[in-house]
Amino acid sequence: MVFRIVRRTVIKAGIALATICYIATVACAQSDTPILSGAVAFLGANRGGAPTYQPVIEPVLVAPFGDHFVVEARGDIQGFVFREGGNTGPYNAIFAASLFYLQLDYVANSHLTVTVGRFLTPFNIYNERISPIWIANLQTAPIIFTIGTRTSASSNGAMLRGVAVDRANWTINYTAYVSALTTTQNLEAGRAAGGRVGLFLPHHGFEVGASYQRFLQNEGSNISGAYVVWQPQPIPLDVRAEYAHSPGGHGYWLEGAYHLASNRDTGRWLSRFQPVARVQQYFKGNPTPEDLLPSADVNQFDVGLNYYLPHNIRLNGSYGRQFSSAGDANIWNFQISYRFLFPAWPGGHS
Amino acid sequence: MRRSALILLGLMLFVSSIRTAALPQASPNETKPKTTAKKPAADEGEKRFKENCGRCHNPPDSLSPREVKAVVQHMRVRAMLSAEDERLILKFLAP
Repeated sequence: MVFRIVRRTVIKAGIALATICYIATVACAQSDTPILSGAVAFLGANRGGAPTYQPVIEPVLVAPFGDHFVVEARGDIQGFVFREGGNTGPYNAIFAASLFYLQLDYVANSHLTVTVGRFLTPFNIYNERISPIWIANLQTAPIIFTIGTRTSASSNGAMLRGVAVDRANWTINYTAYVSALTTTQNLEAGRAAGGRVGLFLPHHGFEVGASYQRFLQNEGSNISGAYVVWQPQPIPLDVRAEYAHSPGGHGYWLEGAYHLASNRDTGRWLSRFQPVARVQQYFKGNPTPEDLLPSADVNQFDVGLNYYLPHNIRLNGSYGRQFSSAGDANIWNFQISYRFLFPAWPGGHS
Repeated sequence: MRRSALILLGLMLFVSSIRTAALPQASPNETKPKTTAKKPAADEGEKRFKENCGRCHNPPDSLSPREVKAVVQHMRVRAMLSAEDERLILKFLAP
């Protein structure tokens, strides 16, 4: 039964990828070389004594069409191996494929890019910038991640984005989007509209921004959020934080990572380490099952260590402790990932 | 006793990390005497790369000229790069 599902999933994903590659090949044969990027990873976790294992492949396809059009897609195929009954029963496995985005971008000018198709919901920054498995400093997403990204973290519709004001010392970036309700398996999206605006000070490595979303399904609701990023140039410190509020609940997370050298590829053993820590709090509102939010207040901290090996291989491990009236839990995570990037096919012009 | 040892170990790691971060991070190529100065556009491109792309990841190990355009166009949309950022980073990655 499991193998039938796996076979069906792999065949479906393969057909989708082959179709995208074929279209890109035909369309770009005379212009630009598409690239195939992404990562393969193996994740292990133990949450409250229940072990799980996840082999994942997360490919990204980028096909430029001249100077103004780009087709981008990212998906994943992953297995989820777990013990039935938490930590007592026999091991079982399920496999699934997801399409995070498949979008056509039209770069109209310096200030505007128009995107249509399926795209990552641009609420705060975690979903768009930090969620890829080769970027996230900690494996687990923050508790408030589903606020503003519920259903699938992707939207089906149209989006405008770009840099509204571009000065030497500061820039203002923005996104605005609408999404239609979609219930097709693996392509789910909610009916929503929203936007985000951010102020970025490049010389200080500082960005602050705010998000708003009107969720247009069910009774409708207003969702808001804010974020801060600070990466001072002189020291390899990376501080990020988000706050999000919805009728279902609100909360924040604050994460800090410190690279033990300013350049991780120096060959020095210490330069390849990056300790990470995150604290987060969630306060329950009136959550519904669709919110995918915890049913009780939660406090959690995580500490982890990343180690960057040569050739784009990364190891990371983390420990977290969750405090909740629904039950405290220890959370252990381990991951090895390999980041790849190559032309989507051989040949082409240089 | 154990607490003191842990504090000492922490201090040693901290000092060691600061030293490592502060040391000039020269690659093998950079140890050779430089005969030509870097082009200003490449310097500015490297700076823009660090300010924008470097916020999430390091430069890739290697990028062929065939791949660069697609990568930079992808990141222009993802990372909200301005047209000027895109131009300079392109020059930095594919001089």
